[in-house]
Amino acid sequence: MSGADGGRPREALEAAADRLLRASVLERIGIGIASTTAALCIGLIIAAVAGYDPIRFAGQLIAGAFGSERAIARTLRSTTLFVLTGVAVAVAFRAGVFNIGVQGQFVVGGFTTVVAIVWLANFVPGGTLGGVTLMLVGSLAGVVAGGLYGALPGVMKAYGDANEIITTIMLNFIATGFVGWLVAGPFGDPEATATRTRRLPDNVGLPRVVFDDPNLSVVGLLVMVAVVVLVAALMARTRFGYDMVTSGYQDAAATYSGVDAKRMIIATMTLSGMIAGLTGALFVIMIQGYYTDPSGIGNYGFDAIAVSLLAANNPLGVLPAGLLFGGLESASSHVQINSDVPVQLIDGIVGLVVLFVAAPELFRMIAARTGLGGEGE
Amino acid sequence: MSLLGGTRSSRLRLGGFGLLIAVFAGVLVAAPTGGGIDRILTPGFVTRSLEMATPIALAAVGGLYAEKSGVFNIGLEGFMIVGAFTAAGTMFALGGTSPTQAHIWIAIVVSVLVTAVLTVLFAVLLIRFKADQIVAGLAVWFVGLGFAPFTAALVWGSRSSPGLASVDAVAFGQSPLVFLAALLVAAGWVVLYRTRYGYWVQAAGENPEALDTAGVDVNRVRYATVIFSGAMAGLGGAVLLAHAGNFVGTGQTMVDGRGWIAIVAYLFGNYNPVGAAGAALLFGALDMLNVQFQTVGIDVPARLVNLLPYAAVLLVLTAWGKTRVPSMVGEPYETEE
Repeated sequence: MSGADGGRPREALEAAADRLLRASVLERIGIGIASTTAALCIGLIIAAVAGYDPIRFAGQLIAGAFGSERAIARTLRSTTLFVLTGVAVAVAFRAGVFNIGVQGQFVVGGFTTVVAIVWLANFVPGGTLGGVTLMLVGSLAGVVAGGLYGALPGVMKAYGDANEIITTIMLNFIATGFVGWLVAGPFGDPEATATRTRRLPDNVGLPRVVFDDPNLSVVGLLVMVAVVVLVAALMARTRFGYDMVTSGYQDAAATYSGVDAKRMIIATMTLSGMIAGLTGALFVIMIQGYYTDPSGIGNYGFDAIAVSLLAANNPLGVLPAGLLFGGLESASSHVQINSDVPVQLIDGIVGLVVLFVAAPELFRMIAARTGLGGEGE
Repeated sequence: MSLLGGTRSSRLRLGGFGLLIAVFAGVLVAAPTGGGIDRILTPGFVTRSLEMATPIALAAVGGLYAEKSGVFNIGLEGFMIVGAFTAAGTMFALGGTSPTQAHIWIAIVVSVLVTAVLTVLFAVLLIRFKADQIVAGLAVWFVGLGFAPFTAALVWGSRSSPGLASVDAVAFGQSPLVFLAALLVAAGWVVLYRTRYGYWVQAAGENPEALDTAGVDVNRVRYATVIFSGAMAGLGGAVLLAHAGNFVGTGQTMVDGRGWIAIVAYLFGNYNPVGAAGAALLFGALDMLNVQFQTVGIDVPARLVNLLPYAAVLLVLTAWGKTRVPSMVGEPYETEE
């Protein structure tokens, strides 16, 4: 390794962090699968108790997620959002900062993108080149806005010692309420009957290749993969990422090796918010085309917490976890139309997944009792 | 070893209270033309503020007991949702869309029992299986947000209930539940600071080894406080419902962040039940300011006024974030044998 920049204590730290991270990868995957299975089983039992046919419900879940080309496109569309917001959460959680505010940062980022594009469209010529310029500048505005909205609770934690779990939840409520007010009032489209902003101009939109779905573009998937790879590389291969992860595992050791804890918290929250803001930008450009009242746009930022936890806060693990949630979300819209089972059951199942992920000891104990799985550590 | 925090920090906190009240008064005074303070600070406003503060204060007292004993129950919001729904469901089961006052009281009791039983499972996960307290608490919120509207949809065919009934006022135009809450807050203070059991709770959070040595089972104390916190949050949810008169399960449900505000209320009250109730009252008043502005005819968008409690929470936490957290919060305790 060429990055020998810290001498011996640093090497020891590195070894310790490595052991923590690697030793349990298989176990983590096992826990993820066990949690999901357990939650799904309970969900099916509840469906049965409520008087529905659980086998049929399970079939509808699968058909709704992967049963047709349309279902697959819908799954991939949701997956994109879950993976990106999931990475935003993972970045923060890995660094030991509990950013529950990804939803708010996602909303602020998306809304800013719409406002920036609609305003700039007055000055930028039409056509493809103009459209690309608008999208790039708009996304940049979304990333900056999301980053700033994430940095705010970071600063409050670093310098005011304010618990970030609470502040970010409050900022979610504020983002939803404030953007909701802006969309209904100052930034509302006077010609629209529904509460929404003006539409993005026609030349703003991602190319429709591979998938013939108006709300899914390969570009979106590429952005998703690129962000995952970049963040994974940042965390595993750079000094910044290394310091971030060490702060999460052993803040005292990180401080000892020269990491400024306060600045690390702010940097982490900013990065997390930037990714959430980018997701917001992608959401409006690829899917929505305008902004509505954020209380109705879906809980991507909240479910992202579950995605990240299921992935043990590993940016690569977020891919399969995001796919699972994308599938569940896609299945929800199928179930809503084709079944009597209230879709909120799926939200409850998601909650159970998180509950089980929180208690790995439960599965370790079951595994030990039944003699399944490898020995503990 | 001093179990109770220093006087300096509590003086600071008193200053904090003063400042927040000043800010609150400032909002009233600076409120644009159309109404003076006397028209905003009406008896009706006080009544409604107390009513709003009650669920928050109840959940806060429960939450502070759990945290004092070393377990951060971040699932208060979720338990409040469960409590509100259970109360609505019970009322509906007993009296359809026109339940009597007796039905309301039975519903509140049932709701507390149901949440308490669910909290037992949660407590086992936290204490026996050493689940991550933050993650498990968030999960409770998600579970509540999913299953309460789900069951509501099963019962009423919609995520919200039809109009049921709200509890009648008893004295001074005030709901009996407000008095009940005041009583519980006072009892919470007495038990925590004036009884042996209260010292056990504090010791379980500050110095579990010492408590263990003294022959008290640390985990048993923690089980008790966590179950109590869930029951109180359930009661808070039930009270919220008994005041509102119908269950709302859309969006973030009718609880709408009150469980989170309860956590802030007890942090701001420095884990003192009376302080937590005071903070809850401030948040309740901020919540009701909206109605008051409308009745007086001050033209401030309701949506923005509704954000005041959340903004106040941010201000409070940033300015007085350094609460004296019990030293062993979040640490599972293993008995040495």
